[in-house]
Amino acid sequence: MQRSTDGPSDLGSQPSRRRFLARVGGIGLTGLLGASAWDAMAATLAQLPFANGRRELVTNFPQKGAVLLQRTRPPLLETPFEVFDQGVFTPNDRFYVRWHLANIPNVVDPATFRLNIRGHVRQPISLTLDDLVRDFKPFEIAAVNQCSGNSRGFFSPRVPGGQWANGGMGNARWQGVRLKDVVDRAGVKAGALHVRFNGLDAGVMPQTPDFMKSVTIDHARDGEVMIAYAMNGESLPLLNGFPLRLVVPGWYATYWVKMLNDIQVLDKPDDNFWTTKAYLIPDTPFANIVPGQTGVKMVPINRMLPRSFFTNVQDGAALKGGQTTTVRGIAFGGDTGLAKVLFSADSGGRWQETRLGPDHGKYSFRQWEVPLHLSSPGPHKLMIKALNAAGIAQPDHANWNGAGFMRNVIESVSVHAA
Amino acid sequence: MSTRLRDVALIWAIPILLGIALATGLMWLRTSDSRAAVEEAATGPVQRWTKVAVDLPTSQTLFPPGNGAAIANAQCLICHSAGMVFRQPPLTQDEWAGEINKMRNSFGAPLPADQVEVLAKYLHSIDGSQSPGGRSVLDGQGS
Repeated sequence: MQRSTDGPSDLGSQPSRRRFLARVGGIGLTGLLGASAWDAMAATLAQLPFANGRRELVTNFPQKGAVLLQRTRPPLLETPFEVFDQGVFTPNDRFYVRWHLANIPNVVDPATFRLNIRGHVRQPISLTLDDLVRDFKPFEIAAVNQCSGNSRGFFSPRVPGGQWANGGMGNARWQGVRLKDVVDRAGVKAGALHVRFNGLDAGVMPQTPDFMKSVTIDHARDGEVMIAYAMNGESLPLLNGFPLRLVVPGWYATYWVKMLNDIQVLDKPDDNFWTTKAYLIPDTPFANIVPGQTGVKMVPINRMLPRSFFTNVQDGAALKGGQTTTVRGIAFGGDTGLAKVLFSADSGGRWQETRLGPDHGKYSFRQWEVPLHLSSPGPHKLMIKALNAAGIAQPDHANWNGAGFMRNVIESVSVHAA
Repeated sequence: MSTRLRDVALIWAIPILLGIALATGLMWLRTSDSRAAVEEAATGPVQRWTKVAVDLPTSQTLFPPGNGAAIANAQCLICHSAGMVFRQPPLTQDEWAGEINKMRNSFGAPLPADQVEVLAKYLHSIDGSQSPGGRSVLDGQGS
């Protein structure tokens, strides 16, 4: 039952890549913590680069190819990082998945599905999917969707939660309609403050707070926040929110409510659990505090920070000295576009500007590349740093907070020139 | 021998069932009716809506034997699979008690207060502490 990964051949040929994915026979693995048929199917293991980082590469989730299993129920699936070298748009079947609550409908019937807009509006409305497609002007935007806790596994000291490496993110062309057009159809009344979003998922226990998120009315009506009915030209995979998902460009994915079926305009602040008690960050630059620090003002997580990554060179790679190699990767500006992406081949001593690929809009991944000529043999530390249009650069030192949110430190890989 | 046969049967059954599901899905796509095609011509590109029905994998994994395993199997698995626990960094017993109380107080886990200590002790004994990850820090938020 072995199944090979879908990594590009240029990566697959590197020795470091072979070390990264240890391919092993299926049955022999399963003894450790209780075998199951699903475990037996998972023929490939990946070692994420932190302690207790062994993950199965699985193919048994519907509408999904090979993804890293972080949790079966409710699903938590990571995009294997080599996918990001294949282009700036993450294929739907490799796009990461993150659910909070296990009661997820596994059947969604467009014939009966309705999107309700209610609350502090002149006329509550209930829309079919066809209504949405037919009656509103189509809108499309390319945007990165990134889990608030992406890269949590790299936090030092470690923090509990989903132990992601850097694959708790993806970039897609989102197609649908503007949220503004939809709430305006219902008619927002004077005094509206927030708009709250709910999806079809629910907790197993009735006491579990239903997952809902909200944004301010001005944010909801900014003409960029949208309701997506497609990503990358296809219906959303069920695990990415079929049939509708909120898209909040530039903001962390916690706001991008999946299986969106209920929009409530509020004339008072949203007091629900997921807004007031969860997804809070220290109100400090880069949400950074010292471990153990107390008495910090906490605010809801919001705008993303700039990040950049290597995609064709892994840590520990062997490179040929004396010849030119093209090093490349992806970057994004967070809540605004990229200004530039800088590369260093000497541990951050000197920085040079990289060549940026096509611009798909300020919220999208953008490819960068740079020619690298390592003249001296031995170890070299390569670093990559994004600066966004607002003048924010990735920090030299990793930010830290107790929830493991918003990591965006400069990325580095150690390579060896021979 | 019989468990081995069962495993083999399961291993073959899964791809066959997936294949059937895929074929059914393709049939749905092919049978989009002519009315939809007419509407497409009138209004430009149309999102073709087809019913989606999937099976989500389940986890059969139980917590390893130990004092507290029965509580973990009865309580933790109500809302999430066990793998989430196994993949955590090492936490102290107090930190596990904090996580357990978060599940009780914020998410409604029906775990009696007098079971918190034994469960925390158990989870501390089986968590990622086999790896040299060092100490971790608890935040206590609901996320």
